[in-house]
Amino acid sequence: MQCLPVLRRFNVGETEMSNHTILTIAAFIFLSTILVSFYRLMGSTGDDVGNAQDMILAATISTSYIELAQGLAFDEKTDTTNAAIGNPSALTIPAKLGPDGAGEDSLAAFNDFDDFSGLVLEKTPTGTNKRFKTRFTVSYVNPNNADAISSTQTFVKRLDLKTWRTYPPSDNGVPIDTLRMSIGMGYFHFD
Amino acid sequence: MQYLLDYLASVILGAALIFVMINANDTAAENHSLYNGDMMVQEMLVQTAYLLEGELRNMGVGIPETQQSVLAADTSRIRFLYDMHRDGTPDTVQYYMGTTNEMIDTPNELDRPLYRRINSGQPLVVGSVTVFRLRYITRSGDNLPTPVISTSLSEIHSVEITMEVQNPFAMMRTPEQVKAGERIALYSSSLWQQTRLASQNTRR
Repeated sequence: MQCLPVLRRFNVGETEMSNHTILTIAAFIFLSTILVSFYRLMGSTGDDVGNAQDMILAATISTSYIELAQGLAFDEKTDTTNAAIGNPSALTIPAKLGPDGAGEDSLAAFNDFDDFSGLVLEKTPTGTNKRFKTRFTVSYVNPNNADAISSTQTFVKRLDLKTWRTYPPSDNGVPIDTLRMSIGMGYFHFD
Repeated sequence: MQYLLDYLASVILGAALIFVMINANDTAAENHSLYNGDMMVQEMLVQTAYLLEGELRNMGVGIPETQQSVLAADTSRIRFLYDMHRDGTPDTVQYYMGTTNEMIDTPNELDRPLYRRINSGQPLVVGSVTVFRLRYITRSGDNLPTPVISTSLSEIHSVEITMEVQNPFAMMRTPEQVKAGERIALYSSSLWQQTRLASQNTRR
């Protein structure tokens, strides 16, 4: 009769202590899960800040190309004549947009806006080891709606650029953001 | 005995938890400083670049074709003309970088002011930069040596501007974290590089 309470108390105490241990381990697992999420969130914030810097560089590269394109003639035909062109059918046909001949093989040799069409350039900004690739497309667009590509010649062309980082490659297959920019150019002539 | 083992286990686990939490807190504070510094620097860069690119975009506007738009061209200084107020009178705009001594109050030993001066007015600080480098390119893509001599100024077709902004305040690192050739302090930085035409409508 005297032993039973002792045994009962020991058994009860042992059960309570096991529960405490299980609870502690569960809490530890729970906290570890939260910590993993926390570190993942911090890592993604770092990626966002890094991507913002990449996008600044991509934007400056794109606007530099746009600036160069805007300094060129509207079309090969308007570059080689001083006479005003009144009919858009006199311009380069849409299928022939791009460099005009073997001589126009570099940015310095380009003489009109659509020479950029089909071009792919890679650039490493000075002071960084990052590389950015830019793909160019030029099309005629509807003068009343610059979003609508025209299958025939018009007096408005649109240059579309896509710029993205090629080096360093993305970590763990995370897709790299691509910057898309467009600029329109209309034909005009001073008599 | 079982009580003791359980208490011991709880103390060990509790200590581990506290250690992990303190470590996480340190990491969070460090990363917050770093990301905040990065964002601040990017905002500073974009603000300065916004002004600079808007003005350089207008380089040569309202200037007769027979007149050159770039008046002086050096590695970190440019003076050019454009009709700022569209009143037929060309204005002279100058951008140049000051010296590091002018920003000696900041912990960053490389930052210096970027000045903008209109005509003969007082120069105004428009930003703080660590790099402000100009490259002058001819129509054929060649670089002109700087300072560009007066007879070559008319050859300038485009200007490449490289600008870097660093955080004036550093994030300190322990000596073990500093690699060979690196500065002791870690400064967030952001880079901007753009090419602008010296004159618009050169080839229409």
